[in-house]
Amino acid sequence: MRFWFTEEQEKFRQEVRDFLQAELQAGTFVTKSGGLAEGNNQAFSRKMAERGWIGMTWPKEYGGQGRTYVDKVILNEEIFKVQAPVAYHFLADRQIGPSIIHFGSEWQKEYFLPRFVKAEENLKFCLLFSEPNAGSDLVNVATSAIRDGDAYIIRGQKVWTSGGHQSDYGWLLARTCFDPQVPRHESCSQFILDLRLPGVTVRPILNMAGRHTFNEVFFDDVRVDARFRVGPENEAFKQIMAQMDYERSGIERVLQNYPIYRKLMEHVKQMDRKKTGAEFYSWVRDSMAQLEIEFQIGRLLVYYTAWTIDQGRKPSKEAALAKAYCNQYEQRLNDLATRILGPSSLLREGTSWAAFDGELAECYLWSPSYTLQGGSVEVLKNIVAQRGLNLPRK
Amino acid sequence: MEFSLREETKMLKSNAEKFMKEKSPSSFVKNILKEEKGFSPALWKEMADLGWLGLIHGEAYGGSGGDFFDLFVLFEEMGKALLPSPFFCSAVFAGLLIQGAGDDRLRKEYLPGIVQGKRILTVGLRNEQGVYDHPDPELEARETGEGSYRIKGIRLLVPYAHVADQILVCAGLRKGTKSFGPTLFKTKNNGPGVRVVPLHTLTEEKQFAVTYTDFAAAPQDLIGSPGKGAEVIERIMPRLITLKCGEMVGGLSRVVDMTVDYVKQRVQFGKPLGALQVIQHTCADMTTFLDTARLIAYQAASLISAGLPCAKEVAMAKAWCSDVYKRSTQMAHQMHGGIGFTEEHDLHLYYKHAKAAELEFGDSWHHRQKVGEEMGL
Repeated sequence: MRFWFTEEQEKFRQEVRDFLQAELQAGTFVTKSGGLAEGNNQAFSRKMAERGWIGMTWPKEYGGQGRTYVDKVILNEEIFKVQAPVAYHFLADRQIGPSIIHFGSEWQKEYFLPRFVKAEENLKFCLLFSEPNAGSDLVNVATSAIRDGDAYIIRGQKVWTSGGHQSDYGWLLARTCFDPQVPRHESCSQFILDLRLPGVTVRPILNMAGRHTFNEVFFDDVRVDARFRVGPENEAFKQIMAQMDYERSGIERVLQNYPIYRKLMEHVKQMDRKKTGAEFYSWVRDSMAQLEIEFQIGRLLVYYTAWTIDQGRKPSKEAALAKAYCNQYEQRLNDLATRILGPSSLLREGTSWAAFDGELAECYLWSPSYTLQGGSVEVLKNIVAQRGLNLPRK
Repeated sequence: MEFSLREETKMLKSNAEKFMKEKSPSSFVKNILKEEKGFSPALWKEMADLGWLGLIHGEAYGGSGGDFFDLFVLFEEMGKALLPSPFFCSAVFAGLLIQGAGDDRLRKEYLPGIVQGKRILTVGLRNEQGVYDHPDPELEARETGEGSYRIKGIRLLVPYAHVADQILVCAGLRKGTKSFGPTLFKTKNNGPGVRVVPLHTLTEEKQFAVTYTDFAAAPQDLIGSPGKGAEVIERIMPRLITLKCGEMVGGLSRVVDMTVDYVKQRVQFGKPLGALQVIQHTCADMTTFLDTARLIAYQAASLISAGLPCAKEVAMAKAWCSDVYKRSTQMAHQMHGGIGFTEEHDLHLYYKHAKAAELEFGDSWHHRQKVGEEMGL
């Protein structure tokens, strides 16, 4: 049992820090919460690629470094603390690459993996999973992929597609079996879909923070070559189930709002206790201590899950539990910050009176999405109960 | 980051688990609580023979000079079974005080007996509100002649005082008009000037009020240096608190197991309760409490065992474990319904233990203040 890092790991962390500090000083990016949603910067991704920091846990034969998941969490912890712009490669690194490694064809591996680890152009991915009638109940997808010779014809609609407007490819879940006798979870396949193909339309959806990160994506008889299907037909859910656990509980889940956390801490340390009054300060202090405990626990959960993966175990329960916990922590963080900062946290960006230059108002507006994205807290608790504790489904 | 246990620790843990399962089933625990002695001398001897009481005491005193972390996992296992015994008050609390007060004469005199389980010591460090008051003790010691003292005052919630060979106390020492501050003494549980009265507590464990009325203490009863008592106690406090956390994690894990088993078996509405989503989510929350409590408590224990700074981590552990253990026992009662509210069922043992453990060494609010301090707030 050792709750600290090896010398090598500390060295690696420092290396990442130094790189990020240099980039910050050079003005490559600014630290602002929500970097993952908006920081799409291929040039920056290339710099990370040059250092071997994309696909670092992948086997060497695929251009990876064969490093541990704990090392990857160390990298990402530093990245997200400063909200470096990693959106260009993040999805490819976190789940597209690993899915291709596990289920992809030789051609897919040869084509995509080396390009991913180099962060080459025109390779940003988005996820095409959710539909208007398939949210938490993902097996309900209606988008169809009908075989036509050596191709599939895709027809249907996706929604809540983060970064769809900036992406080159989508990782698509579509129905390939239409026999009502076959269970729904054995009727879907996964595809790599080039979003430049004729028949693909991406339309923006503004979220309640007034930002455009979501999209709707429509497919009007899009013809996709069969070599873009991933794995055998109708095995999508097997693949998703096998893969999700590895991607669910990255450290980003507890660090999406780290700048708020840091600024709040600074704010509280500099508070004029005479002005705020001893009673208010005593509440603030108690709440901040609780927040700190919750944050440190979230961080331990993420490292523990990564370590579980490194032990060769499948972290279904650990990952679901960690994500559900961390998402809820982030909501409490933003809520607490608005209460400590008071009504100035209602002000949006653009006035000097705004708490944390409007970042706090923005983060509070983003908060409801944390417990929804990537598996709602309810779905995650189902996983903990059914797969972790073996409670009956019926 | 390395979350697996050393082989030796794993072995100790599984031996302890087996021992507790075989020898300390809940029926046995409930019987012991009803008995006058409040512990099983036979099991106490076995625990001593296994070397558990001497785990963290030096080889010179018959101990094994082992790793604190091993003692921690032992407490986790003991927390699962809740076997009542003077382990904590004697081998740990009193043992560490004697170890830490820097008096080799005392160590030689008492540690071997403690380690062999032949001598039981206890501590009387709580005031009439049940609060540890060593920084400014309400108990008084007056020097009446060269090296002779009179101790006066009341100590509450003194575990196993009725069988204790010695009761260690911390009293404010005065010589004439001069005040020396908190000072450790050892006292007897009988004779002139001391009265031991049993208390009926929520956990049913053997706890006593000890009243000193001009109890006469000799020079050799003074432990360590005058005025240094609080320091000695504070120095061992992180270890005591962390072991308490280990015990809580053990108790919490039993509560989760018990609840998950019950909702799998109990059929209502034509299906197991555990098939209902609201029940599943409660169980998922309880598991989250358990996993997080375990991580934060293990973190504190591993830092202590490596001799690294741990003030913040220990406070975080006690704050979190206190809250989530208690909360889980409340949720478990809700999941169990009426059966969990009976004497016959085991759940009440944990419900009671969670409350007592929460209030021992300060609750979550108390420890959040410490976390705040460590954060520079």
